[in-house]
Amino acid sequence: MPSSLNRRSFLKHMGAAAGAVGAAGITGGAVAEAASRPAQRASSQATLNILCWEGYTDPSFVGPFEKMYNCTVTHTYAGSSDEMVAKWIAGHGNTYDLVSASGDADRRFIHSRTLLPIDVSKLKNFNQLYPKFHAPPWNTVNGIHYGVSFVWGANVLIYDTRKFKQAPASWEVLYDHKYKNEVSIYDSAITIADVALYLGWKDCYNLNNSQLAKIKTVLQQQKPLLRKYWAGAGDVEDAFQHGELVASSAWPLMTNDLRKAHFPIGETVPREGATGWADTWMISKSSPNVDLAMKWIDYMIGPQGQLGVINVTAYSGSSRAVVPALGPARVKALHMDDQAYFDQLHIWSEPVNYADWVKVWTDVRG
Amino acid sequence: MRSTATAAPLLGPSVLWLAVFYLIPLVLLLVQSFWTYDPINVVTDQSFTLGRYSDIGADPVYRDVLWKTVKLAALVTITDIALAFPLAAYIAYRVKRKSLGLLLVIIPLWSSYLVRAYAWRTILGHDGVLNSFLIWAHVLSHPSDAFLFSNTAMYITFTHVWLPFMVLPLYTALEKIPPALLEASRDLGADGPRTFAHVVLPLVLPGIIAGSIATFSLTMGDYITPSLLGGPDSNLIGNLIFSQFGETLNWPLGSALSMLVLAVLACFLILAGRTGALEAM
Repeated sequence: MPSSLNRRSFLKHMGAAAGAVGAAGITGGAVAEAASRPAQRASSQATLNILCWEGYTDPSFVGPFEKMYNCTVTHTYAGSSDEMVAKWIAGHGNTYDLVSASGDADRRFIHSRTLLPIDVSKLKNFNQLYPKFHAPPWNTVNGIHYGVSFVWGANVLIYDTRKFKQAPASWEVLYDHKYKNEVSIYDSAITIADVALYLGWKDCYNLNNSQLAKIKTVLQQQKPLLRKYWAGAGDVEDAFQHGELVASSAWPLMTNDLRKAHFPIGETVPREGATGWADTWMISKSSPNVDLAMKWIDYMIGPQGQLGVINVTAYSGSSRAVVPALGPARVKALHMDDQAYFDQLHIWSEPVNYADWVKVWTDVRG
Repeated sequence: MRSTATAAPLLGPSVLWLAVFYLIPLVLLLVQSFWTYDPINVVTDQSFTLGRYSDIGADPVYRDVLWKTVKLAALVTITDIALAFPLAAYIAYRVKRKSLGLLLVIIPLWSSYLVRAYAWRTILGHDGVLNSFLIWAHVLSHPSDAFLFSNTAMYITFTHVWLPFMVLPLYTALEKIPPALLEASRDLGADGPRTFAHVVLPLVLPGIIAGSIATFSLTMGDYITPSLLGGPDSNLIGNLIFSQFGETLNWPLGSALSMLVLAVLACFLILAGRTGALEAM
């Protein structure tokens, strides 16, 4: 019976290996999950589950909120609008109470029919919002508020100041052979809008097929020059700190974090212009904590929440409530009351032919 | 098995577990691959269509990436066989406390896969251990960017991470060869290489196949190592499937791509079966 002895001991060894892999896999998965969520206190407090971009649930301003309302806030980060939409819709809007949606995702969220229309009269800080955020088209449809705007910012170019004595004047630096293997761009189909701006097409969310074809060629030519495509803030900051990158597209959050780590980083908006985003808090219509979610939104557009998120991310706030605490110099630096600056930023909005954008991106990334 | 009456309650839970967590999800994937996702209205049309499969056929990127993945999986498998064989033989023939030897091989599996992948980032990076060593040894004058964020980094990581899965079945197979057979071969006049080719290899083949199934299919499905350590050109079929489910929301297309990967693995298993190795298991 040598063959069945072979089989049994083989199965025994493979079973041991499978058990080890299973344990390792579960541990690994649990570690990854726990890393994106702070430990929940065992209590009968209400828990707010938030799906958002990095930096929007920093303990520095979440802590006071939790104390004030005797609750727990847990978060899940998403690295891109697409990922955010996917995570939300996979759970039919039941997994999270709140989401911080950017303009290029709002239409999908609204269409998913999982959002709670918000009664803004219940928000005591709503009137403090700058006028352009009272009923912006990306989150207010036919007078119904599907969300409330709370921060905005530009997709900037950041660079190592040791390599660039002066800020690069053009996005060209990310397409230049001189910086081969030292540059990076954001791994999301929405980056196509930045390429459109670089090519001089100001109406960067309205691209026809021949424009998309040209952009695809440019992206394919750029691909061998890139060190990597970045997926999140940690990715970019890590790479700069380890000397892997000298220039990259990024969010002001990365500049802020790298400055805090005393890294010589510079930030600029090149001459071709930049895309930007304006983020909206939206509530799930099946949330069991609607009252608490409304309190969260009120807090985030009030003085404390705005100051907290601005300090962490260096993004621009949407509410005048924070002006006294921020001071006129920072308000000016963040262009918070500068309508003209906001207007010339090409804020993320969802192109009508976004499916074609995704196709181009998939083809380039393959 | 003694009798069906005894077998059924013993097998029952396992079969149920297999059905719920393995078979049913696979069937759901297959069914989903015949649907259509409408990105404008964010709904999925469930009427039967082969459209996803024709989508895959129409765009060369899918078969290019699939072929890239198959090549990498084959390369990793061959490398792991070459690395695992000496290690398994060493534990089987030279090591007194074999269970300790095996334990040392298995221990890395106790750490998270992510930890091991990140470890390679620190080793291969611009300011990592490898570059520092090569500069110290005057092989390089400044750090090389060729190690990290490249197909090479992926290849090294995969080879390292799947190695235990190749060592264990090889060890088992080697351990089962009666030493008398090797002595008999020597007595009959065969030297080392001839004994290896005619006696050891045929007996060890089931172990090689078992290990190959593990390393090949694990590489075929992986998307984490390409994201962490790969370069701009390192997307594997796992990444494409992941982006359909996680970003594009095109679950039907992701399901169809998954069926394609399963088909490739099925071919691999059929080829493996042809060698007769599966019977010996």
